[in-house]
Amino acid sequence: MASQAATRTEPGPAAAAGRAAEMGETLLDVQGVSKSFAGLKALSDINLQVKRGSIHAIIGPNGAGKSTLLNCLIGLLRPDEGSVTFDGRPLVGMQPHKIIQRGIARVFQTPQIFPALSLQENVAIAALAKRDGQFALTPHESLRPGHPMMKEAAYQLERVGLGDMLDMAAQNLSRGDKRRLEMAICLAAHPKLLLLDEPTAGMSRHDTNRTIDLLQKISETGMTKIVIEHDMHVVFSLAERVTVLHQGTIIADGKPEQVRGDPKVEEAYLGGAHE
Amino acid sequence: MTAQAEQPAGAAAGGQRRRLPAPSLREAGIIALFALIVFTLPWWLTAIGGYEALATKIAIWAIFALGFDILLGFTGYLSFGHAAFFGVAAYTTGLMFKHVSGDVVLALLVSIVVIAVLAAVLGVLTLRRAGIYFAILTLAFAQMFHAAALSIFQEWTGGDNGLTMSTKPALFGLPMQGLNVFYVVAVLLVIGFVAARQIKRSSLGLMLRAIKENSMRLQYTGVNVWRYKMIAYMISAMYAGVAGSLMVVYEPYVATKFLHWSTSGEVVIMSVIGGVNTLIGPMIGAGFMLYFENVVQAFIGEKWKLILGLIFVLIVVFLPGGFVDGFNRIRRALGIRTKPRRPNVPDAPETMSRYHDSKNTPAQTGSDN
Repeated sequence: MASQAATRTEPGPAAAAGRAAEMGETLLDVQGVSKSFAGLKALSDINLQVKRGSIHAIIGPNGAGKSTLLNCLIGLLRPDEGSVTFDGRPLVGMQPHKIIQRGIARVFQTPQIFPALSLQENVAIAALAKRDGQFALTPHESLRPGHPMMKEAAYQLERVGLGDMLDMAAQNLSRGDKRRLEMAICLAAHPKLLLLDEPTAGMSRHDTNRTIDLLQKISETGMTKIVIEHDMHVVFSLAERVTVLHQGTIIADGKPEQVRGDPKVEEAYLGGAHE
Repeated sequence: MTAQAEQPAGAAAGGQRRRLPAPSLREAGIIALFALIVFTLPWWLTAIGGYEALATKIAIWAIFALGFDILLGFTGYLSFGHAAFFGVAAYTTGLMFKHVSGDVVLALLVSIVVIAVLAAVLGVLTLRRAGIYFAILTLAFAQMFHAAALSIFQEWTGGDNGLTMSTKPALFGLPMQGLNVFYVVAVLLVIGFVAARQIKRSSLGLMLRAIKENSMRLQYTGVNVWRYKMIAYMISAMYAGVAGSLMVVYEPYVATKFLHWSTSGEVVIMSVIGGVNTLIGPMIGAGFMLYFENVVQAFIGEKWKLILGLIFVLIVVFLPGGFVDGFNRIRRALGIRTKPRRPNVPDAPETMSRYHDSKNTPAQTGSDN
């Protein structure tokens, strides 16, 4: 991981030239994406390349457009301009579930789970979606605890540390555990790219560190991740590359230590919502 | 950790299964008990003041309510227009009897095909919306069918007089009279019950329950939510259609009331008072409604609707899980341990206590590694 980050080309004007050489290694390529809401520019001319196997952090003050950018990636929003290329194929205009089926999963800012279903069922849904694609007519297939997809669900729950609560209704989990459940749902989909929208928001320091450990553990499988984060501790423990958004534009992009010292970044954080 | 991680989960699952009888044996027991109750319905219903033909009607409405639970109970879509399927199937069957033959199998098959096509078309139009908008759309379409039956299709439907026929329906030469009708309906009800239970525990059923729980999460898990909604809608329409056809087998006459919104409303009320998402509840609701309408009415006269309305309100307010929930509460009050299950009422407290009392507390899992 570390060596990959070290060989990365410098950001800024040189990035465009360096991009061509990187193509094969680029999993996600965002080109000139803009999005406005009723005349308000939420994103303007965003260019972003995410390398295979890397952890890429997107940071920025509240309202910088971080979540909007993720929404544009998975089809929750359609960009006004620009293109998004994932694994060599364009995504813009595709239906969300088809984008997800290409190999993207997302952990939302507010945990999105299936409240009244058991933890195991929650995760089995994703395992089924991975196995069957977007739709399968399977009324004959009984989902008993020994079913392969239920076993896969149990395994993924074990990975995130919820393995001894398989039968519990998801609504009874604490907020931090709900997010870990959502992580298990995403892992069961075996995505190429995992998008995490503030995975540690509202978590205690202890839970945050556990989440960091978990994300690092997952990284060993070579899964690419984009993390939106407010917590600088998380960003600097995890990310190999950091993109800083401010008022819908990228103001800095590079290795964590480069971004940390950037005066524009400090100004954006001090001028906007301070950490 | 990966290989070992699976062990505790597998062991826990195995342990849970060992405590209960084998799933297939347990399932066979439930179905046998259900079939026994259904097939003896004419006798014990007579004993409590009913009559044989009422048993047939209850079984028909039970099929309707059962299918309705697949849409409302599993998937969480409240249709106020299932009268369209019930009524159109009844008219199709009636027209088959009147103009083609009294063959019940043929009439049922034709009705099912008609309903499948109709449900596909209405599904495309109504399932674009959820919640109240879906309910209103389904209601509007069903009322259009009612209006059409009374106007442009009057020649076919007989308008206000209803569709009458002189044919005697028969199944493989067996005349459809008296208890014969009941047995045919009862067999279909048991088949419908087995099918609905299978759907509930299948991976298809899990997808439908996921729609009710969080359709956005489901879509962003890579699932084509719309297609699953469509399947649920079509399956429930088929049940409604079979019920509508059977009404004409039971009594060779089709009233425009079959298409009226009150028919849709009745199946909603049956589901709610019986207990949504329990399969058995809506069927009990159907039995209760028809018993009330036909037997209790004889004792309390015209004010039966008022009493029924009051019962409905009381159940919604104090027992939102319906009769099935009430039954479970009584069992718990008597200290009988019910099989732990997740509630169909979102804020039911049982799951919390169940898990916090047990050893699997979230606090303990916080100490992994």
